[in-house]
Amino acid sequence: MKMNLTEILSLDSLKIGYVSGRHENVLLPPLNASANKGELIAVIGRNGIGKSTLLRTLTGLQPSLGGEIFYSGKKIMDYSRMDLAQKVGYISTEIVKVSNMSVYDLVALGRFPHTNWKGKIDTKNHEVIMDAIEKTGMSALYKRFVSELSDGERQRAMIARILAQDTGIMVMDEPTAFLDIGSKYEILHLLHVLSHKSEKTIIFSTHDLNMAISQSDKIWLIINNKLMEGAPEDLMIEGAFDHLFDSSPVQFNSEHGTFSSRNEEKGRIYIEGDGIRRHWTEKAINRVGFSVSPVKKIPFIIVPFGNNSKWQLITSNLTLEFESIYELVSQLSKENIRPI
Amino acid sequence: MKTEKQIVTARVLSSGKQQKLFFACLLFLIVSFFILDVFLGSVSIKASEVLKAIFTNTDSNFETIILKFRLPKAITALIVGVALSLSGLQMQTVFRNPMAGPDVLGISSGASLGVAFVILGFSANISPDSLKGLGNWILVAASWAGAGAVMILIMFISSRVKDIMTILILGIMLSSGISAIVIIMQYFSNETMLKAYVIWTMGSLGNLTSSQLNVLLICVSVGVLMSLISSKMLNALLLGENYAGSIGLNVRFARVVIFACTSILAGSVTAFCGPIGFIGIAVPHIVRILFNTSDHRILLPGTILTGGAVMLASDIISQLPGSDNVLPLNAVTSLIGIPVVIWVILRNRKYSGLF
Repeated sequence: MKMNLTEILSLDSLKIGYVSGRHENVLLPPLNASANKGELIAVIGRNGIGKSTLLRTLTGLQPSLGGEIFYSGKKIMDYSRMDLAQKVGYISTEIVKVSNMSVYDLVALGRFPHTNWKGKIDTKNHEVIMDAIEKTGMSALYKRFVSELSDGERQRAMIARILAQDTGIMVMDEPTAFLDIGSKYEILHLLHVLSHKSEKTIIFSTHDLNMAISQSDKIWLIINNKLMEGAPEDLMIEGAFDHLFDSSPVQFNSEHGTFSSRNEEKGRIYIEGDGIRRHWTEKAINRVGFSVSPVKKIPFIIVPFGNNSKWQLITSNLTLEFESIYELVSQLSKENIRPI
Repeated sequence: MKTEKQIVTARVLSSGKQQKLFFACLLFLIVSFFILDVFLGSVSIKASEVLKAIFTNTDSNFETIILKFRLPKAITALIVGVALSLSGLQMQTVFRNPMAGPDVLGISSGASLGVAFVILGFSANISPDSLKGLGNWILVAASWAGAGAVMILIMFISSRVKDIMTILILGIMLSSGISAIVIIMQYFSNETMLKAYVIWTMGSLGNLTSSQLNVLLICVSVGVLMSLISSKMLNALLLGENYAGSIGLNVRFARVVIFACTSILAGSVTAFCGPIGFIGIAVPHIVRILFNTSDHRILLPGTILTGGAVMLASDIISQLPGSDNVLPLNAVTSLIGIPVVIWVILRNRKYSGLF
């Protein structure tokens, strides 16, 4: 994969927010950030912090309250609506509800800035549309009505539309919200492929931090009224995510890049055995509030191995056997076992 | 890969063929309904007499009925059907509301307020009979102003309230409020004016003078042209104003063009023919079902043809061929339109909020 480091978008002390009457309601302090060609950028932050407003301002649907947005070095204000539509495309959280609109027609609307006043779809436009449909894996469904699609399919169709718009930058507001876990991964994978193979810069907001970290080239992290940008790994090393959930009972593990609930620690248990059973037994005892002890002390757990197909819990006076982790964990959470 | 693309193109073309067939059928229906509308009426005239009246100069009573009454009425029916249906289609798209139509959201009421001002108010000095020439244009302009004012008000409301039901209820409130103003005006007007106004409200295609018909024809032609030019904008607005803006539409400009067009279409018809219900809301739905598309490049011509055909059919039915009686036009259009509207409401329960 060739990395082409052309800056395609930059924000210079951008102030975003709403004007109600004479009062300016500024959501975030001046923001500075940039995006290069072919990058997948995740915008992460708590609900209500101004992610959607930022994205709407980027696409020119909402005026900024100060500062500048540059597309390929040119101010956003210097673009006409039609020219801007050839630079940046947008998918909001709003679900398109139109009956009798086929996927093809929806994708064809993406050609709006490229067609004549009648909106005529000629052979060239048709090819671009079919190409977008193919790239998003909608070839089998393009004659279906949009209202008949599943959530994931509809999101694919929306992405095909923005692809047909043929913009260098795609802005998407929570494209994976409301999707089941499989569709979430499929959509994110699609975005990853589009950004790297088709050299599209994709800026999307999301709450799926694990997925964003594993797939994005860059993260715009909005936290404590600040925008931090960098590769997910850089931000991780700086410990930037640690403050995302300061007040909540959720803990971010900077080493693994995963979340866990802050559970009250009940004690330590030694586990004997190895392999996949050991791995999941560890996870299970973590879940109910125990950590794994490095030294063999009573009580301890023996994970099934060889002929023994049962989990054993050895305490000072007896040995208990369990058919499954479920049974083991139920016993552990019932009896408040303390390390000795 | 290439063959796959060719198959795809072929499929898209084949659905185009089917649409062409529908257009041909609709054109045929319009022509036959138009002929039927001229041939049938409360006075039964033999077909040969009708032809004689049209093509020769006999100066008989039949000729008067055909040329002075039936022919203008059929032309009016065609124009009215086209205008009301087109304005309904545009409103449904702009407001993204399946229940929008000139009569439902109070646009017709707005137009009738304008007309009431002219007939009940200003014509205190001019008698209603002298509403000719310039008077026709005053009547139409007042009607446009009324319709346009309500359109702007509804737009203002729908930019703040997103819920379809709330907007409909507010539209009904608006209509009632306007009716109240008209009733007050009626209360203070004299008998001749009142009669002229009440007859106007009943809705009729047959009371137009030839100069009125000319004015109507000019206005509706302008409206039809404007709507055909706006097909690309209407397609973009299907996605809602945010998406429409993001794909490059100047939403404010589009709104001005489409609102002006709708006001001209609905206002002109209402000025001369009175408020005619349910055509504007029902026909666009019939067209969507028929052509199975949301593309306005198909829907607009489809609506023009279907609207004309449905209105001609309503006129034929209202004359009750074979009997001496004539039904009020509004009753016929309601009975045709209401089942369609009910069907749309019931269908929408499944995909709530769709149109």
